[in-house]
Amino acid sequence: MPGIEFSHVVMRYDNGTEALRDVSVVIPEGSMVFLSGHSGAGKSTFLRLVLRLESLTRGRILINDVDISRLARRHIPAYRRHLGVVFQDHQLLPMRSVYDNVALPLRVARMREREIGRRVRAALSTVELLDKDRVLPGALSAGERQRVGIARAVVNRPKVLLADEPTGNLDPALSRNVMSLFRIFRSLGATVIVASHDTALISGMGERVVELADGRLVGDSAA
Amino acid sequence: MTMDAQRGRSGPAATRRPKEVWPAASGALRSVWRERARVAGESIAYVGQRWPTTVVVWLLIGAALALPAALYMVETNLSRAAGEWQGRPGFTVYFEPGLDASVSSGLATRLRAEPHVGDVRLITPEQALAELRGQTALRDAVEIFDGLEHNPLPVTIRATLVLGRSPDRLQEIAESAGLIPGVAEVVIEKTWLERLAAIRDVTRRIGVIVAALLGVSAVLISAASVRLAIAARLAEREVLALVGADARFIRRPFLYLGVLYGIGGAVVAAALLAAALMALEAPLARLFSSYGADLHLSGFDPMFLGVLLGCGAVLGALGARLAAAQSDRPP
Ligand SMILES: Nc1ncnc2c1ncn2[C@@H]1O[C@H](COP(=O)(O)OP(=O)(O)OP(=O)(O)O)[C@@H](O)[C@H]1O
Ligand SMILES: [Mg+2]
Repeated sequence: MPGIEFSHVVMRYDNGTEALRDVSVVIPEGSMVFLSGHSGAGKSTFLRLVLRLESLTRGRILINDVDISRLARRHIPAYRRHLGVVFQDHQLLPMRSVYDNVALPLRVARMREREIGRRVRAALSTVELLDKDRVLPGALSAGERQRVGIARAVVNRPKVLLADEPTGNLDPALSRNVMSLFRIFRSLGATVIVASHDTALISGMGERVVELADGRLVGDSAA
Repeated sequence: MTMDAQRGRSGPAATRRPKEVWPAASGALRSVWRERARVAGESIAYVGQRWPTTVVVWLLIGAALALPAALYMVETNLSRAAGEWQGRPGFTVYFEPGLDASVSSGLATRLRAEPHVGDVRLITPEQALAELRGQTALRDAVEIFDGLEHNPLPVTIRATLVLGRSPDRLQEIAESAGLIPGVAEVVIEKTWLERLAAIRDVTRRIGVIVAALLGVSAVLISAASVRLAIAARLAEREVLALVGADARFIRRPFLYLGVLYGIGGAVVAAALLAAALMALEAPLARLFSSYGADLHLSGFDPMFLGVLLGCGAVLGALGARLAAAQSDRPP
């Protein structure tokens, strides 16, 4: 069963903080999971490990049966091109337009300009920002910037979509839109992991919820 | 039972190669070049927005490039001057007065047979006196000889080196001529050619050392400036890394920045050099004409400028590469 598999993962930061303690969980390909838990529970760390932004201390993480903790440094960029990421601080390049920001993952993957144009417009229309494509990020509201970040995360049709508090700056209606967008991606075969402490939103979705507390897995609605 | 045991996977041999996770996207050339043009435009904008810093960096790199470039110019011009000036090294053999003519003519014959010796001229005391009379500046001095009974001038042989041959051999020939009985003195003339060759050699060596030292400083100046730019754009690097940009993609803006710094420095160096040439041309022309030579400064041509710009670009890029390598390493 390919997908994402954490087995006995321990993550200790350089300063000694144990952000994850012996976490084992399997997220099948094409499924959607919410990571919940209080602030500091280890949700972001979980996602950062999948992204190989951090290296784990013990255990292993298999993505499509590949042990990514063994991935050589030079293979990491190519690996990340198959992931889509929405981060808490939805970082955008300030000197590039909305269009160019969303196009970034495709340009990094050296896609043809015409195909890039098609996909960027499709992604921007899903987040209802097609009319702002020439605007610089500085001239957008926080919610609009977040939507640009979401468009950028989905534009390369990733096999794995990781979202860290993707609805932090959004109103409830827009939050539900974003969630249904993630569901569409799930239905297209992507594995979706959303970290959020918005329990109201999570419970309304009726999806699997994995709960972390102080670095330990304390609850799994699928178990 | 763990997941590992279930699947019978136990070590690296059982895990698939990372490349096979998903197939790589195929390249599209036009998209790649557009991205480069976009990054180049951003680098130019970056440099333009911070022009006070940029000007200082250009001046620093320019100063570092100007000195080796100037030494190169001196060297080329000395080489050319050496080729143009006709003075050849040689020696003059002075015989004791009243010697049998067969001794001097015998030596002249022997010298003519030497492959290193080109022109051999035997000058009798009469010829020497006539030659002296021909030089107006010495007319008064020659009048003293007229009062004497005998011509006091000795027989001399003037021999010159064949152009292009080693002056060392000339030295040997001259010394052996000095051993012949009846020879009073052998004077070896160090000519301009030799002195120029020596000066050229020294300039060339100094040039290499100076170019190496200042080339390294140009690289370090570029590296320090690019490091500032990297620090200012750390967040952007993270974003790029997150969407799967490889190291080359992430470094490209900084590489272009280094190249811009280097080329700007080379332009400054060329301007400094042009100014120095303009200031020095008149006094140098006066100096040369006092040696009876015309001054044509050469070497400041499109080829030289091209090489200078190229060196600037390469040194700037090396600095950027250094800065990028340092920033890749965790602190
Ligand atoms: N770079 C770091 N260095 C050291 N400790 C860290 C680092 N990042 C996170 N931590 C610690 O690891 C623990 C888990 O952090 P993490 O960011 O994963 O929590 P989280 O569940 O995402 O919290 P939040 O809901 O506030 O985003 C926390 O105790 C945090 O202080
Ligand atoms: Mg977090």
